[in-house]
Amino acid sequence: MARINNQIRRLRFDHGEMTQEELAQRAGCTRQTIIALEQGKYVPSIELAFKIARAFGVSLEEVFQYEEE
Amino acid sequence: MSFKQFTIIRISVVFIMAALIGWAVNSGNYLIPIPVAIAALVILLLFRRGVKEVVVDERIFSIAEKASLITFRIFGIAAAVIGATLVALSRESMPALEPVGFTLSYSVCGLMLIYYIAHIYYNKKYSGKK
Repeated sequence: MARINNQIRRLRFDHGEMTQEELAQRAGCTRQTIIALEQGKYVPSIELAFKIARAFGVSLEEVFQYEEE
Repeated sequence: MSFKQFTIIRISVVFIMAALIGWAVNSGNYLIPIPVAIAALVILLLFRRGVKEVVVDERIFSIAEKASLITFRIFGIAAAVIGATLVALSRESMPALEPVGFTLSYSVCGLMLIYYIAHIYYNKKYSGKK
């Protein structure tokens, strides 16, 4: 079983305590989606993953990590 | 306009529309519900344009896809079983149930037909074949 982890919460705080709402606006999604991502309940599409990475100005791998259990 | 404000407006419009349609049907004005429904739709579309937040995103579509699939399966199986049971019962003792049974059975056929047409369309669209 594979799992995709993310560093969204940490990156938000590293970027001047960016709010979920602000990140959602930058990535073009809803705040509920950011909440679901941070809680690991939802895996985004490649497009949204890239948008989130761009919102932080980092590479995709810095935000999302693919881990095989 | 925030999404919360839009939600309040949406609920209000739906309530007003339901009240107007209910009143129109009760008073025998069967033509009123059509313009009322169209007006409500237009009002909601206009207000939705004013919402600056993202209202619908891929997660909401993903939820809708899963909900649609499970609804299709549950309704398909339930309506087919109930429809067949009603048709069988109508042959035995209750002929009044026959139209209900056939309506349910044909609605399942119609639903499956729409599903397979949509399936063929999207399968072609995302297959990569030319």
